[in-house]
Amino acid sequence: MHRIGKLGALTAVVVLVGAVVGVALAGRDGDQDKDATVYAASSLRDAFPKIGDATFSFAGSSELQRQIEAGAPADVFASASPDEAQALFRGGSCTRPVTFATNVLVLLVPRDNPGRVRSVYSLRSGGHRLAVGASEVPIGDYTRTVLADMHLSSILSSNRVSQETDVANIVSKVALGTAEAGFAYVTDAKIASGRVRTIALPRWAQPLVRYQICRVRRSGGGTAPADEFIERVVGAEGRRILRAAGFGLPR
Amino acid sequence: MGRAAFSALLALCAGISLTFLALPLVALFVETPLGDVPDLLGDPVMRDIIAVTARTNAIANALILLFGTPTAYLLATRRFRGRSLLVTLVELPLVLPPAVAGIGLLAAFGAGGLFGDELQDAGIVLPFTEWAVVLAVTFVASPFYVRQAISAFESVDPLLPAASRTLGAGPARTFWRVSLPLAAGGLVAGWVLAFARGIGEFGATIVFAGNVHGETQTLPLGIYEQLEANFDLALAIGVLLVILSGSILLTYKLVATWRVSNSTSLSPFALTRSRSS
Amino acid sequence: MRAIAGLVRPDAGRIELDGRAWFDSKAGVDLPPEERSVGLVFQEYALFPHMSVRANVSYGGTERTDELLDRFRIGHLADARPGALSGGERQRVAVARALARDPAVLLLDEPLSALDAHTRAAVRAELQELLAELALPAIFITHDFRDAAALADRVGVIVDGRLRQLDRVEEIGRRPADAFVATLTGANLLPGIARPVPGGAEVALDLGTTIRSGETASGRVGAVVYPWELTLAATAPADDDLNALAGTVGDVSVEGGRVRVRLGELVCECSPADAERLGLARGAASVATFPAASVQLVPLDDD
Repeated sequence: MHRIGKLGALTAVVVLVGAVVGVALAGRDGDQDKDATVYAASSLRDAFPKIGDATFSFAGSSELQRQIEAGAPADVFASASPDEAQALFRGGSCTRPVTFATNVLVLLVPRDNPGRVRSVYSLRSGGHRLAVGASEVPIGDYTRTVLADMHLSSILSSNRVSQETDVANIVSKVALGTAEAGFAYVTDAKIASGRVRTIALPRWAQPLVRYQICRVRRSGGGTAPADEFIERVVGAEGRRILRAAGFGLPR
Repeated sequence: MGRAAFSALLALCAGISLTFLALPLVALFVETPLGDVPDLLGDPVMRDIIAVTARTNAIANALILLFGTPTAYLLATRRFRGRSLLVTLVELPLVLPPAVAGIGLLAAFGAGGLFGDELQDAGIVLPFTEWAVVLAVTFVASPFYVRQAISAFESVDPLLPAASRTLGAGPARTFWRVSLPLAAGGLVAGWVLAFARGIGEFGATIVFAGNVHGETQTLPLGIYEQLEANFDLALAIGVLLVILSGSILLTYKLVATWRVSNSTSLSPFALTRSRSS
Repeated sequence: MRAIAGLVRPDAGRIELDGRAWFDSKAGVDLPPEERSVGLVFQEYALFPHMSVRANVSYGGTERTDELLDRFRIGHLADARPGALSGGERQRVAVARALARDPAVLLLDEPLSALDAHTRAAVRAELQELLAELALPAIFITHDFRDAAALADRVGVIVDGRLRQLDRVEEIGRRPADAFVATLTGANLLPGIARPVPGGAEVALDLGTTIRSGETASGRVGAVVYPWELTLAATAPADDDLNALAGTVGDVSVEGGRVRVRLGELVCECSPADAERLGLARGAASVATFPAASVQLVPLDDD
């Protein structure tokens, strides 16, 4: 009786583990027919879920690019700059990218503006807590371009600068007041509207911010959900939602 | 189940676990261009990273030892109402996800936090500064030390401090000359764990202190940023951290085997043959 | 011991030495151990394992270290660690350490309990010498009355936390206050029911026989007779004044020059010559006689 008990318990455990694994595997196969897995730039975190159903992963575009290159199971990739999508395309990981939106950089400050930042030039005095994107992420690259064009690159060394790998972190730091100012997109300002104040950057200094989307090539899966999602993004419904969120649209 | 079958099952489980644990470490060393590591680590950005890590962890560890030791001693040797609650409180950061720790620190010491106004009035702003890193590291690492220290002090035979008191030593002298030396082995073990946890701290740091080059970017934050910028450098930093943590652990183990365990007084009822002299 | 040393706080009462109160619940006095002048030798010795013998002994004070190391003949062990010492050596270190503080009272917690019989006798002799030499008040705890008899001037018998008798050691051994003390001091205890008669009492023993005692009592009592007060004979004496109990000889053993004979329920003592003369051996029949005057009556502990 004792022996049967132990053996029985062991068998039960093996069966249970097998069942869980089986269900998990079965589940995965089933999902492939339903929703696409979309890896998208962090600034799309609010708009994309409104465009269609999918399994989303939002992060800095360069981080997502790296993950896809390492074999992450994405069906669709949308980056906040052409660099990442084109890199994947050249590497054969995805189809030819398509531009689907544009954006504008702004300077954000917390609602009560503890740092008394009135414009970009206020940062010249230095000593402020500033959140910017790391140079590898699109927002960081764009920010450096703007500052270089305005001859204000020095503010990156004269202030306390936290380099973020995700624009959402920039916004949260400003919204919490941890940072006195941060460079983000105007679409982020909309998302955090109650908690941040927006300071516009001169139009002539705005870099060309282009969002591109492509279908990731990977084995074992129908392309229908991915193509469907991409079509929604570039189609009328997607454009309406993106415009409402503050994005610009390509002709 | 037969004896042989049981042993085989044990061996199988052990094999799987140990392989799983060893694999990332082995892979790290295999994938890293080891010959390039010295050059990679000579990258100018590394100087700041190492300096920040060294400074913040040195201060944090000093704080942990300075405050943690008396705390552990109190909790180990005094019995009072609410004691178990306090012990649980000390252990809490252990089970707290690091990002939550970061949020908690923000909520307490951030600009809009509990003490935000008071701190600002005093001219102190913590986020984006080294002190924020010190706080984050101290917060997540101290339970490792204090928990172990409590255990170490508890394992000291209570007769020994009692004897010290009857010999004229007050509570402070008893702590210094009897309890502390006898608990030292366990204290060092706890500190090793705390140190390792501290230099690996990421989540609370990045949320509370931010990623400020030369100010708050520690080795783990450096890995994260270099993942996209210079993957080889990220690997090199990983190798550095593994070597650092591994050396500390190894040193501790070697030292521990040389010390005689002497934290308890001898068994009272061991009948001994008298070597009367 | 711990209360005297200050390691444990009694609920109520007073502890004082030389008129100075160390603890007084009514007056709210409670001196911490380091302010009392005690030398406490723990049963487990509690030597500091991480210190040398010399460091242990000088812990309470450094002036007398060398003198104590010499006195206790542990000078050659000065640099050794307690872990390397024998039990007897550890005890000497513990005593030396306790004395280094020049205490006003020496407390010894069961100093002989953990020792085997051979060492016990030797250490008992050493302690006798030490206590005589020190002229310090000393209190020690033991479970063995022989230790108390050898070392103590006064003895207090504590059972279940209650003090049963506090007396000079000779009195404890001669006039036990109750059944427990009686058996502790090695007496025979015969339960029975007493009835007052002129000159004392008659005790109807549970054993069956009736004996006489010089003391008066009535009701349930224990009759106490010491082994050395019993005289063994082959047959019951004619003398009516003597109590007599017959029985079969059980164990016969020689202890310290006397012969201990178990006779039925009794333990008797006689000289080796008498034992031979009477042919005392297991299974033999014999009679123990004792005068009424040697029978003490004590209240029985209710069991």
